[in-house]
Amino acid sequence: MFTQRMVYCILPPYLLREIAQRGSPAQRASAQRAIIAAEQVRSQRRTIQANSAPMEAVSAAGKQRYVYDAKQSSVLPGILVRKEGAPAVSDPAVNEAYDGSGTTYDLYYAIYGRNSLDNNGLKLDSSVHYQKGYDNAFWDGQQMVYGDGDEDLPAPERLFNRFTIAIDVIGHELTHGVTQFAANLDYSGQPGALNESISDVFGSLVKQYQLKQTAGQADWLIGQGLFTSNVKGVALRSMKAPGTAYDDPVLGKDPQPGNMKDYVNTVEDNGGVHINSGIPNHAFYVTSINIGGYAWDKAGLIWYKTLTEKLGNQSNFQNAADLTYAAAGELFGTNSLEQNAVKAGWAEVGIIIGGQTQEGCFKATLRKLGLSGLLKG
Amino acid sequence: MRISYERSGGFMGRKLNFSVDLEELPNDQAETLNRLLQQADFFNLPKDLISRPVPDEFNYIITVETATQSHRVRVSDSSMTDPLRPLLDDLFQRARTGKG
Repeated sequence: MFTQRMVYCILPPYLLREIAQRGSPAQRASAQRAIIAAEQVRSQRRTIQANSAPMEAVSAAGKQRYVYDAKQSSVLPGILVRKEGAPAVSDPAVNEAYDGSGTTYDLYYAIYGRNSLDNNGLKLDSSVHYQKGYDNAFWDGQQMVYGDGDEDLPAPERLFNRFTIAIDVIGHELTHGVTQFAANLDYSGQPGALNESISDVFGSLVKQYQLKQTAGQADWLIGQGLFTSNVKGVALRSMKAPGTAYDDPVLGKDPQPGNMKDYVNTVEDNGGVHINSGIPNHAFYVTSINIGGYAWDKAGLIWYKTLTEKLGNQSNFQNAADLTYAAAGELFGTNSLEQNAVKAGWAEVGIIIGGQTQEGCFKATLRKLGLSGLLKG
Repeated sequence: MRISYERSGGFMGRKLNFSVDLEELPNDQAETLNRLLQQADFFNLPKDLISRPVPDEFNYIITVETATQSHRVRVSDSSMTDPLRPLLDDLFQRARTGKG
């Protein structure tokens, strides 16, 4: 993808701008696309360079964390401020990114035997202080990126704290990397919501692992501590009770469903990936509670095996239910307590093991009516 | 001229929508926005700058309507270009504070 974009850079930018202004309509459009591609490449190039060189050198060397300071700009990764083995610095965001990615690495390595995101010692790059007033965090395909929340607003107007403050958010972002190297679930619709849910599941497990909490002791919240005291809410999401994490005059109400009957059909947010993730989230919570003990031991192992060995990039909720059920059978035996817990977990959110998917029903109905042609194009 | 800003996605999945009529703004602010639109070469931008979805980043849809033309551009944090960024920053500050 990047190679293809780099080709556009052969023409110097001033020439492209000239064409964009004076060429034929087709030439203008083409030149405009090239200018934009070049601009996008310029802003991405530093990230690529920073990632490509040391990557081979550190493989199989264990935990390799690098934390960068973006200095409130959009340029990634920014300036290196702490690397593996270096002592803590005075900036809490840097230390949180360092420690949180370390605990995430430890959970995957100690419990599931996975050596980093790619299972081949990939180094863990994090950038903190991304932009100003950036109330968000994301995985850009190569590294974690964290904003400082509403640090630039007067205290009474702030809604969000810095995003490194919640270790489950760090685990969530890194798990997007694991998913990318494993099932590589499409980031859209049900596969996208499943992608999101898997990040919440392992993000929460990272927090539970750090606190040594059983399923019964855990809060099952995502992003607890991110809201300032100005917000009426406890966290961004609740796996225990989707839809109850916040209800605030400015932010509105937590929109997450916890059952298929409340599935939200929308084109926004890549098809509601952060909304409908509440459904598989709650299935994991119920499964964990039914099994008992530390959730990462058994429920987490079932989900991990499913993610790394069974799911594909188009898998939907029904597939996830069927495949976690199969994985539980392989790990703990057919009709075992664990396998029945998985079945009960999905039943609680309205998904029956071996049932027909919503899409399946829809397509079957169209076929019966002789309208299958509507599905094409 | 009317400018609409729609932000969606992000870790929280919360929408942030905002629109402003330049005619209703103080002259200096309207001039600033006009300058930022020109700097971005807005009306010549492709409709969709996003080449791949990036987990948890924000997606933005910017729509500009004038008496003679209308243009809508979709962009995200990682697909943002330097000429377009100042416009998005300005609109974000207006959107989050609700000030036109």
